[in-house]
Amino acid sequence: MTVRHPGGSASFEILGEDHTLGNALRYIIMKNPEVEFCGYSIPHPSEEKMNIRIQIYPEYWEHTKPYDALMKGLDDLADLCDHITHAFKEARDNFVEPGDNSEQR
Amino acid sequence: MDDYDTIYGSDRGPQITIKEADSRHAQIVLSNCDLAFANALRRIMLAEIPTIAIDIVEIQTNTSVIPDEFLCHRLGMVPLDSTNIDDKLIYTRDCFCDQYCERCSVTLSLHARCTGEDNVTVYARDLVIAEGAQLGSPVINDPEGQGTVICKLRKGQELRLKCIAKKGIAKEHAKWAPTAAVGFEYDPWNKLRHIDYWYEEDAKEEWPKSKYADWEEPPIEGEPFNYDAVPSRFYLDIESAGSLPPDEILQQGIKYLQEKLAAVIETFSNKNETGDGFGDGVRSPGQDYSMGGMGGGGAGYETPYQGGRTPFGGGGFGGATEYGGRLMGGHKCVAAVAMG
Repeated sequence: MTVRHPGGSASFEILGEDHTLGNALRYIIMKNPEVEFCGYSIPHPSEEKMNIRIQIYPEYWEHTKPYDALMKGLDDLADLCDHITHAFKEARDNFVEPGDNSEQR
Repeated sequence: MDDYDTIYGSDRGPQITIKEADSRHAQIVLSNCDLAFANALRRIMLAEIPTIAIDIVEIQTNTSVIPDEFLCHRLGMVPLDSTNIDDKLIYTRDCFCDQYCERCSVTLSLHARCTGEDNVTVYARDLVIAEGAQLGSPVINDPEGQGTVICKLRKGQELRLKCIAKKGIAKEHAKWAPTAAVGFEYDPWNKLRHIDYWYEEDAKEEWPKSKYADWEEPPIEGEPFNYDAVPSRFYLDIESAGSLPPDEILQQGIKYLQEKLAAVIETFSNKNETGDGFGDGVRSPGQDYSMGGMGGGGAGYETPYQGGRTPFGGGGFGGATEYGGRLMGGHKCVAAVAMG
């Protein structure tokens, strides 16, 4: 992974990742109110590279770096996964097969 | 939950409802969720959940009409029981054995011969799994208990072979896919106009209603188009190939998404000694590459042109995994790797 542009904006290159992570991460980073812009791109389909660009609003430059927004995005996505796991387990435990309960795992 | 309010405000975040489920498929509704996450989940369930599949075949006798490599391919596609694979098997690339061992592989043998006048059909059930194996038995779901057809033998024809099944993911080869298909749908009434239906005279008359249409309110006639609307309910239909039950597929999907995140976090944390994200790897646009390493156990930088090898070992052209292919030369018997 490599970083470009110091300051309020940066691009990160993540090797071995694709749209699976790219789009979800982009979305979650954009949810951060301090982030002005976040976009990702896979420049060439036969190169396993995913570039993600983050720009922070100037008023937050003092205390938030693009790196922090990226790390927060990754953490938020992990929290979202935890939440989904929880929601799924709940749904699964409440699910009753109509007329049959042999499929309960 | 925890940090969660900061992302989703005061609402409760994504919800899951199970519509239908049995041992082979599950229909779930993911509501209050975003497209990017739902799609990430779909993609990971299709391509990145590990299962076990036959990877190397050592053929002693094959006098059937099917050529060796054809047979190997068929064997590779047979779904094998992969429940709780993470506790039972490791990847061969992470194992310290020379070729394969019981920590990273499961051996199945097949011996069939046609002696009578009638042709014999060889089924997946005829694969005999090595004693003590914790997983990897052929998946059999048909009422006759036979499993998939491997080949047919005429009088005098014989098949004698040994299969080595290994752990892998569908990104390397589709035989490792836990899902046969993942249905993914949203906005059954096309309120968002993400689809432009082709029609002869009237699209409403000519197109069938979505099977999820009853789960959402039909549009009101003359309703103004909402330009801010985004999809938030997703209908997923997980169809298992047999190696894993659908609930495990979903849970593993989330798990592996988190492992991806963890790998990226770890790599960044290791690189970032200065604390601002600009560790040793800074480069300006247009500057020549100085390649950084990569997380997640991958092989790091590879040129895309040499052999088309992925960090997962595979690659379409040679038809051999990095680990499996190497083994073949050392064997006296006819061998081929079960990859398409």
